[in-house]
Amino acid sequence: MSVLEVKNLTHTYSGNTPFVNDAVSNVSFTVEKGEILGIIGHTGSGKSTLVQHLNGLLKPTDGQVLFSGEDIWENPKEIRKIRSKVGLVFQYPEYQLFEETVYADIAFGPKNMGLDGDELDSRIKEICRIVGVKPEYMEKSPFDLSGGEKRRVAIAGVMAMRPEVIVFDEPTAGLDPKGRENVIKIIKDYREATGATVIIISHSMEDMAVLADKLLVMNKGNLCMFDTVEKVFSRGNELRAIGLNVPIVTRVFAELKAMGIDVNENIFTVEAAVNELKRIRAGDGNA
Amino acid sequence: MLKDITFGQYFESNSLIHRTDPRVKIVLMIALIVFIFVSGNMFSLLLSAAFVLLVLIVSRVPFKMYLKNMKAILPVLIFTAIINLFYGEGGTVLLSFWKLTVTTGGIYRSFFMALRIALLIFVSSALTYTTTPNDLTDAIEKLLTPLKFIGLKSAVHTLAMMMTIALRFIPTLIEEAEKIMNAQKARGADLESGGLVQRVKALIPILIPLLISSVRRASDLAEAMECRCYNGGEGKTRMKQMHTSLTDIWVTVACVLYGSFVVLLNILL
Repeated sequence: MSVLEVKNLTHTYSGNTPFVNDAVSNVSFTVEKGEILGIIGHTGSGKSTLVQHLNGLLKPTDGQVLFSGEDIWENPKEIRKIRSKVGLVFQYPEYQLFEETVYADIAFGPKNMGLDGDELDSRIKEICRIVGVKPEYMEKSPFDLSGGEKRRVAIAGVMAMRPEVIVFDEPTAGLDPKGRENVIKIIKDYREATGATVIIISHSMEDMAVLADKLLVMNKGNLCMFDTVEKVFSRGNELRAIGLNVPIVTRVFAELKAMGIDVNENIFTVEAAVNELKRIRAGDGNA
Repeated sequence: MLKDITFGQYFESNSLIHRTDPRVKIVLMIALIVFIFVSGNMFSLLLSAAFVLLVLIVSRVPFKMYLKNMKAILPVLIFTAIINLFYGEGGTVLLSFWKLTVTTGGIYRSFFMALRIALLIFVSSALTYTTTPNDLTDAIEKLLTPLKFIGLKSAVHTLAMMMTIALRFIPTLIEEAEKIMNAQKARGADLESGGLVQRVKALIPILIPLLISSVRRASDLAEAMECRCYNGGEGKTRMKQMHTSLTDIWVTVACVLYGSFVVLLNILL
């Protein structure tokens, strides 16, 4: 069952600039419940504009966004309700921390939903267990944490609303490798614990290969591919033409193939690459 | 991104007024304001109005841009006009109730004051519409140079630099504020409803991150400036030198002519 459906979405920024350009033009796609959708695209391709429609931060100039089959703009006064169902984690979410303690900051979202008392408390403790915010951090100021920990807390702040769909805008940007791994793990853990649908914008094809089930490729405000990860990454030349690329390991295996070595070209993750290399070595040994 | 947001009030064009040296422009604007105040009777004030109108036309900034500025100040204008209506002296009494009387003198005075304020707004808008904020601060720095000789050596440059940086960061901060607002809205923050107290409280989740990021930006900028060996105005040269040209002389002559007529009209009538 599709949880989100975007129909002919167009958004034009009303500016007094001479270039009237659609930031997003006539985009349609559906997101199935429980899947992980990756959105990739060059800078300025309309990814961020697109996802801000999913929780009603932006109103489509034309077209519709349906959540569980209902138009989210059906009743504009109730638009705030959709925001607890479709969570949106912005780029560098640590810059939105403001409370005195980590606990209070994570509580901000659920409180806005009207939760309080024991329910609020148990909700926060549960989410902290899932994303690994240590109990001793709870009474600390969020500003005393390291960059990676701040981001973990900020992400927990959105997850605490327990959205059915959670959207991440470049969740790993600006983190060190360990921090990136942590964020990816948080996303996976949250999904496992709640069965939520996940949408991720990323510039890292490697992250996408590990995480996503499906990929949506944006170019200059248009949707140009929407397919499984394998199918999208098998169109490397088209991706390169719009300033994107395939994961490094995929490129390595394409080179190997070009050198005349009999390898599978559809390798997207390091794990798959290791297995494929093992297979080849085993084959060599047999020959 | 920067282009979408009104940066100061500058309106791009290449008119005579735009080309005038910013230093000359600031001095002349001050002179113009003085002359508008000096205009003591209706004839000299109408002359001032004609001259200001000429400036507006020559500036080639659409008239509705000026009216937009006027709209902001309209309540003050109306208030002044109404107050002055009752303070006029002389003339025939038109209306009288309670302790208030409206005379023809009052109407005259009310019109006079309103026109005077309107002219002041027009003149200052003409300056900000035709001069970029950076040119303005540079010109102010140049004009304040004499202060260096009375012991305020570094103050002049520091002040100008502060103004430049403040202006430069207005669009950045607007963008940042929008981002933070969206992020908090995504967390269910309600910024639109509720009473005054509630709305002010709702601003806290936006103001605190904004303040923190401003401090962070400021320290980053300070570090970047130090890395480029910035040490105040001492020995600093400019990429864009300001030159006075023939245009400036003509504009100045026009203002002087206008000024002398104002004085003349004041003495004669």
